[in-house]
Amino acid sequence: MKKRGLISVAAAAALAAASLVAYAPASNAAAKTITLAFQGPLTGEEAQVGQDELAGMLYAVKLFNAKNKGKYVVKVVRADDQGDPAQAAKVAPGIASNKKVIGLVGAAYSGATIASLPFYKQRNLAMVSPSATRVSITDPAAGAIGFPVFHRVVVTDKVQGPSLFKLATKGVSSPKVFVVDDQSAYGVGLVDYMKPGIPAGQSAGFDSVSDKTTDWSATIAKVKTAGANVVIYTGYFPQAAVFFKQLRDSGYTGVLAGGDGVLSPSFVTLAPASVLEGVRLTAGTVPLADISDKLEADFQKKMGKASGVYAAESIDATNIFLSCVSKGVSTRAAMLKCVKKFKGKSLTGANLSFDKNGDVAGGVMNGFEVKAGKIVFTGPVK
Amino acid sequence: MFGNFLDQFWSLTFGGLSLGFIYILIALGYTMVYGVLRMINFANSEVFMVGTFATIIIIRDVFKFTQTSEYATGPRLWLILGTALIASMLVSGILSVLIELVAYRRLRRMNSGILAPLISAIGVSMVLAESMRIMTDSRPVASPRAMEKSFIGKFFDADIRLDNTIIIVAAIILLAILMAFVNKTRLGKAIRAVSMNGNAAKLMGINIDGVVSITFLVGGLMTGAAGFFYVLKYENSSFSIGFELGIAAFTAAILGGIGNIKGAFYGGLVLGLLETYASFFLGTQWKAVTVFVILVLVLYTRPNGLFGEAMTQSRA
Repeated sequence: MKKRGLISVAAAAALAAASLVAYAPASNAAAKTITLAFQGPLTGEEAQVGQDELAGMLYAVKLFNAKNKGKYVVKVVRADDQGDPAQAAKVAPGIASNKKVIGLVGAAYSGATIASLPFYKQRNLAMVSPSATRVSITDPAAGAIGFPVFHRVVVTDKVQGPSLFKLATKGVSSPKVFVVDDQSAYGVGLVDYMKPGIPAGQSAGFDSVSDKTTDWSATIAKVKTAGANVVIYTGYFPQAAVFFKQLRDSGYTGVLAGGDGVLSPSFVTLAPASVLEGVRLTAGTVPLADISDKLEADFQKKMGKASGVYAAESIDATNIFLSCVSKGVSTRAAMLKCVKKFKGKSLTGANLSFDKNGDVAGGVMNGFEVKAGKIVFTGPVK
Repeated sequence: MFGNFLDQFWSLTFGGLSLGFIYILIALGYTMVYGVLRMINFANSEVFMVGTFATIIIIRDVFKFTQTSEYATGPRLWLILGTALIASMLVSGILSVLIELVAYRRLRRMNSGILAPLISAIGVSMVLAESMRIMTDSRPVASPRAMEKSFIGKFFDADIRLDNTIIIVAAIILLAILMAFVNKTRLGKAIRAVSMNGNAAKLMGINIDGVVSITFLVGGLMTGAAGFFYVLKYENSSFSIGFELGIAAFTAAILGGIGNIKGAFYGGLVLGLLETYASFFLGTQWKAVTVFVILVLVLYTRPNGLFGEAMTQSRA
């Protein structure tokens, strides 16, 4: 409730600012104010993901505003959905009915995206998500519920599931794979896309563990009785670090692997380097520092903190809107049209455009490995 | 499945026991205050959370460990562990006393009833958790490893790990000291007197405010020790950890019979073991369901918890 209040305050402030601009003399070559919105978890358990993405967006906007001084001023309205569908359904109407907002970066999470979609579709607000990877949003077989407003710059779990399995078992003779999910839609979904690709005899079992778990001894006992030599965790890094640590401490010596939820710069600060050595990770994203150290340094200088997991995607998503803004787009209808037709480059230099369902065209999974307490990019998963 | 369970029985049991002892120590924070004031001190979960951070600060910032440091050994290791334990206990103990002074004392003097302190407790809890969230930027914070998690022996087929052993032994010593304090000292007697009948105790010249402060202090010390053991075992913490462990410990206190030290003890052990076994048999996703179904069944037959009847004898 409190957050909703904040947003309406923000909306009111935006309206007030707009009316001030309207009363200014027309001849004044004042910069054109454009408002974009961000939606993701800004408080609560998942706040870090949202805060990191928001920082990516604000970074892109900062660069744009500096470059277009006197021409455009882009403002960002924040919608905090806590990564929670119920919360998303409360904040989305405010964004949808805020006429100043002509584009939305988000939502960060798939569940929250689905809960928000009806409001944005009704009001024709273009969305570009940096990280909502659930396949059904764009899948025509599932009704392509995101069409036409939803787009994403991240590769989906349909690609990640099999890639993660491939990377985890790479070089392991007679792999016996134990897969643990975190009961989130993300974790369970990833396992579902992995399952059909698991060869007969290579599965050692599955477990589904709440993301509130602090003690993993039961799961560890199952891994041991199953005789697994590869353990894949589909969840997020805070739990992954704890799980992997307890698993190694119990004497497990096999492969450890995880998906993009585990790939965070914070992951390696959460467990001793010796424990995480060799952990294999997949992600559609590449950390800013792996794109270029200069970029990461500039990001830290401007934002006052290190970039997070989806920094590159957040910047890419924002840049799509900004490129449309610099083409003179200032309405929702024009923005949606412009995003659909967008053709450009991502931060990594890959071609960036959308297919008709809003998925990024092409797109590959990248492999990473933890080496001496650092996450090292090991190239695309083949 | 059952054969597998027997294979893993002892390692599950050791894991469950050390978790159980952590629950016991936090449950004491709830149960002692309840015994004296008939009030649920919901802020105790955050006292625990702050205790975990005290340990992390000692290990990370005072002794300068990082995730790539060599592990400490010998006397230096015991110095580090001892310092961290005492620091967590003191920080949590003092915090607990302060919470009582700021949030409850005036309400109690004004005879505010039950609801006002309850809300005040929830408020304190949120203030502490949210302040920590802001200070940690919502991120989980890891404690670098100071002690190698070595195996020190075998019990049947199960490896006995050093950290679990330290937790169980140290917790038993702390509980013995607590029992001696409550049962053998004048202050302990005063606490018991207030818990049995506050007005009568007052008429006997017992300083109620003093006893209440001591109770919060002792509960906080135990909860702080739990914070240390938690970090020793799991090596991480976050602003939300208090809520998660707090609910479990509170459940343990209810299960055993709240207001009663023995209840906290058995409640914590039963809960720790039950959670671990249930996760193994039914899958970790059924852990919470199993635990609460059993809690409800216990309360159906024994509404005051497993040891509810013994309340008047050994209530603290």
